[in-house]
Amino acid sequence: MTARRIGVGIGIALLAAFIFGPLLWLMLWAFAGVWHYPSLLPQSWSLSWWRQIFHYPQLVRSVGLSFTFAPIVTLVSAVVCLPAAYALARFPVPGRRTLLVVLFASNAFPKIGLYITIAGLFYALHLMGTFFGVVLIQLLGTVVFMTWIPAASFASIPRALEDAARDVGAGRLRVFFTVTLPLAAPGIFVAMVLAFLASFDEAQGTFLVGVPNYVTMPVQMYSLVSDYPPQAAAVFAVLLSVPSVALMLLVRKHVLGGALARGFELR
Amino acid sequence: MKTAIQRGWYFLAASPPVVLVAVFIGFPIAVTVTYTLGHLGGANSAISSIALHQVSSHGRLATFGAYSSVLTSHSFLEDLVATVWVTAASVGLVLVLAWLVALYGRLADTRIARLLTSFAVVPLFIPVVIGSYAILQFWSYGGLVKTLAHAVGLPGFPALGYTLGGVVLAEVWVSLPFAVLMIGSGLRSIPDSAFDAARDAGASVARATWTVLLPMNLVPTIIATSFTGISILGSFTVPYLVGPTSPNLLGPDAAQTFQSFNEPQQAEVIAMVIFALAIVVAVPYLWATYRSNNNAPGAA
Repeated sequence: MTARRIGVGIGIALLAAFIFGPLLWLMLWAFAGVWHYPSLLPQSWSLSWWRQIFHYPQLVRSVGLSFTFAPIVTLVSAVVCLPAAYALARFPVPGRRTLLVVLFASNAFPKIGLYITIAGLFYALHLMGTFFGVVLIQLLGTVVFMTWIPAASFASIPRALEDAARDVGAGRLRVFFTVTLPLAAPGIFVAMVLAFLASFDEAQGTFLVGVPNYVTMPVQMYSLVSDYPPQAAAVFAVLLSVPSVALMLLVRKHVLGGALARGFELR
Repeated sequence: MKTAIQRGWYFLAASPPVVLVAVFIGFPIAVTVTYTLGHLGGANSAISSIALHQVSSHGRLATFGAYSSVLTSHSFLEDLVATVWVTAASVGLVLVLAWLVALYGRLADTRIARLLTSFAVVPLFIPVVIGSYAILQFWSYGGLVKTLAHAVGLPGFPALGYTLGGVVLAEVWVSLPFAVLMIGSGLRSIPDSAFDAARDAGASVARATWTVLLPMNLVPTIIATSFTGISILGSFTVPYLVGPTSPNLLGPDAAQTFQSFNEPQQAEVIAMVIFALAIVVAVPYLWATYRSNNNAPGAA
């Protein structure tokens, strides 16, 4: 029994090291002055890159751009997808399965191949290098789960609850806003956070469509990795992770509770 | 008549995301297919006006010239082999790890077990660029793994940065959360009684898992397999940052063919190959969801 517990303990420690090791290592780099192999810790510590990074105007601008695009993309995605999610969950939409599978298939085509063709399309529509073009390309990466996850949440609400509210005299809209929406809120919330992160994280399409006018943080990260010392990339990476971690703490409970998993079962 | 109008309204309500996907994903994919088959005019004229080494169908229905030039190239074949084995190895590792974490969470149901599940979900919220860069630093020369190996007297320990092995590790890191959530959610929906009955009849934990939990949790496992496989097949950031120059996965290969060699047609042929592989991986998923829907009570 003790041997088994030790085995489980080692397994947990290894998994924790595998997941968190790289992130902690990056954190150390963000505060390192001089650090040469094979020293286990930096030879000297420094905060200088935390100051210097704000002296590069293009880096500061990319932070602002990322925080502009992500909320806009999230809102547009919600407006486009949430009514559809509700309809797919509650109404006998003709060709429902086909619509869901079409959404799924759009996810299976490799993004790079898509972006090359979209580039041609965007040139024709004069969307290259525009704000709207970047919103559109980031939006495409959010459509599938912004539809699927809330649809599953709407579908999991027992109709009896809505019917009961109707029976005591509530109107359709009132039922929707006081019964349906609050119950589906966790799934919608998870989908919106994932959309925010997908936009915040998107680099390849934004690079192709937005450069040089709109260089967001992850796009900037590619050049940081190759052109700057590891301290600069580490500081930037830590900054880029802050909103993600904050959002994770907000939705952790719902994600672990299955709000995300339900969305992928295509009911 | 009224129901026909009503059905029309339902369809309209459900259509915005589908229209968006049809116009900006479906249409480009169709255009891509014609481009790889040698149609350089129409919607392809903007891209073909700047491209090198294009193969034209010259008004005929199709030519497979671009396909044959890509599919016979040595570097492509190396990348194809790398893509297939890296995907297979990563998906296999992800499934084993995700099952272990989810199973422990389901059977132990202690604070530590729940904590472990939370750990495994963390990479979902770290931008892929950051995760890849962190993993590269961690496993490279000068990274913690090499440093520890050096400290315990193993200077010959391999540095996995810029190798396909490193790509596997990074893909596992990135893909683990989704698989844990999928498989864990499936396991939680299996009633205790099913597992307990097998245990009462004398089956070991391993045997009860294999004969009861695995078959009952097959659909979520297949969903996790297909989605993980598809995302690794088409991945770009992870192999681009963590992988070697060559051979690498087809994702960075396609990007390089387009951006460095200025050969969009050949890049699109590579994208079509990835797509074909992804469809193969998607078949079990579609089969599983159709099957589970037809078995579900009240399914249409």
